[in-house]
Amino acid sequence: MTKMDEGIRAAARQLLEESKVSAVIGYELADKGRVRPVVIERTEDVDRLIWNEDCNLNLVNYLHQRKMPAGKDQPIPKTALVIRPCDVRAVNLLISEQQIKRENLKIIGIQCAGTRINKKARITCSFCQERIPVDYDVLIESDKPIEIPTESDGFADIQEMEHWTAEERLAYWTEEFDRCIRCYACRQACPGCYCFECVAEQVDSHWTSIAMKVPEKMFFHVMRAYHLAGRCVLCGACEAACPMNIPLSKLNRKVARDILESFGYKTGDDPKHAPLLACFDPNERLHI
Amino acid sequence: MKFISYKTRDQWVKNLSAKARVVAPVDSKGKIIYKQINSADEAVWNFEKTDLPAKTWYFPMTEPILYIEQGKQTKLTEAPVPSPVVMFGVRPCDARSGLILDELFIGKPPIDRQYANHRETLTMIGLACSEMWETCFCTAVGGAPDSHDGLDILLTEVEGGYALEVLTEKGNKAIDGVAIEEKDLKIPEATLREGLPVVRNSKEWSTLFNDLYWKELSNSCISCRACAFVCPTCRCYDVRDELVTIKPGVKNYERLRAWDTCTMAGYRRIAGGHNPRETTEKRLRNRFYCKFMYYPEDFGPIACIGCGRCIEVCPVGINIQEIIAQVDHLLDTAAVKA
Repeated sequence: MTKMDEGIRAAARQLLEESKVSAVIGYELADKGRVRPVVIERTEDVDRLIWNEDCNLNLVNYLHQRKMPAGKDQPIPKTALVIRPCDVRAVNLLISEQQIKRENLKIIGIQCAGTRINKKARITCSFCQERIPVDYDVLIESDKPIEIPTESDGFADIQEMEHWTAEERLAYWTEEFDRCIRCYACRQACPGCYCFECVAEQVDSHWTSIAMKVPEKMFFHVMRAYHLAGRCVLCGACEAACPMNIPLSKLNRKVARDILESFGYKTGDDPKHAPLLACFDPNERLHI
Repeated sequence: MKFISYKTRDQWVKNLSAKARVVAPVDSKGKIIYKQINSADEAVWNFEKTDLPAKTWYFPMTEPILYIEQGKQTKLTEAPVPSPVVMFGVRPCDARSGLILDELFIGKPPIDRQYANHRETLTMIGLACSEMWETCFCTAVGGAPDSHDGLDILLTEVEGGYALEVLTEKGNKAIDGVAIEEKDLKIPEATLREGLPVVRNSKEWSTLFNDLYWKELSNSCISCRACAFVCPTCRCYDVRDELVTIKPGVKNYERLRAWDTCTMAGYRRIAGGHNPRETTEKRLRNRFYCKFMYYPEDFGPIACIGCGRCIEVCPVGINIQEIIAQVDHLLDTAAVKA
């Protein structure tokens, strides 16, 4: 048990014992050293909670299952989450979109030394300047030294891609999306994707078909990137969930970069900010 | 014993590709997928298991099953019979999954003609496993790393090439004109895994239908389709008529079938919006009951071949081996109590 595990367990135990929350959602160790999300509802189970650099999903996603009352005349359940700084931005996103209320949530924030996907450092982690969440109730200090990178621009690969010709980009993405199996793991792992009915699944959709061919797959992913414009927190959960190793965050990072340059807007700074594409400022200048 | 060297294998692939579509495991940025090849060097021959099942070549992710020309008179045309496919590098578990799916699609009428066409034109050349890998549990569900079931030819890697066993008439045809040698060979035995869970029978599973375990298990499920879409025995599909072209007076449609799965919320939603499997718990439970209770009761075999692909892809670590073991444990506990 590491110091971080100890801190998480102590915080979780206290929250459950004092009935501040009905569940703590964090990670546990699974078979063969893997980690997986776990919902802890009893104090005797808190010792299952752990943290390590493979905890790469965005647990804010689970709040969509807990944002409505569990039954008639019942309150909205209160939840504690063990989450990274980027995940906390998704909390702010969902508050600003009026999906959740901060009062129903306790944040066990991780001082994050970066996470990995398939044992490799996530690209956004290697540029991340934000190691302490913008909001938390309890902060779990990292047991690893944290070096904040001097290079803050995590968009080098995107800039490179911007210089490619349209044909080169198409060839690149055709190869990537050829592997896609349209399993929707990316969408289901994303806290920002919570439409009751996704465009990709509409019956008699005029936008796409049920075929699992490259054009439909490309449509799905590009559409998803656009629907997350100004909403993606770059947590990388989509990429972590993808069973086919598709570099999905490249699409989101391209959009995030354009938005940062055009509007100076970074998703999840403040829960009071209106969603970017839901507000209009006549004085704003588009730098594109 | 028949022996084929690596060099002869490459020539064999070349010869076959003139007569049929040759399919083999190909590396696509680290993921191993069955794709059509023209020469042996496009394929990977050293791999554990492919990331997508062999099923993709006889029950494709998407395929047209009917063409509809809607004009003054509506004309229907069935999809043509596919040209022959010879598949290399089929793991024995994947080959068994074909036999399991056959029970449903062609085992008894009505015959699924499209599926039958694929199966009839497909030759499967197996590659025996040297060991059971990290998530493998084929021996717990009736398979083996060197099983012959469902294959036309089985290759087992030996020094310098493969020991070759012809198992069917199709297999005989496939080696026609190939320089096969006769050699004294000792086929190496695969390393098996110990401590695998015991799969209980469908009647026993039925007693646990309302157990609280399914709720607990589903707490972390995010209702994606990854497990089902890498599964060699999942076979649900959706059918839609998709508009292809419009010309004056004529509309052309394709009747497509594409994979679909019970783990996703929309699968069971019906007209009026009612959903009999509204919760994650009910959907996830259905997936496992389908494999271990409904399918064996309706068609005979268990709908799981122990490849472990679902364990590898699940973003939230839901593990079918753990579930089988837990069911075994719950039944034991219930028996003790009784």
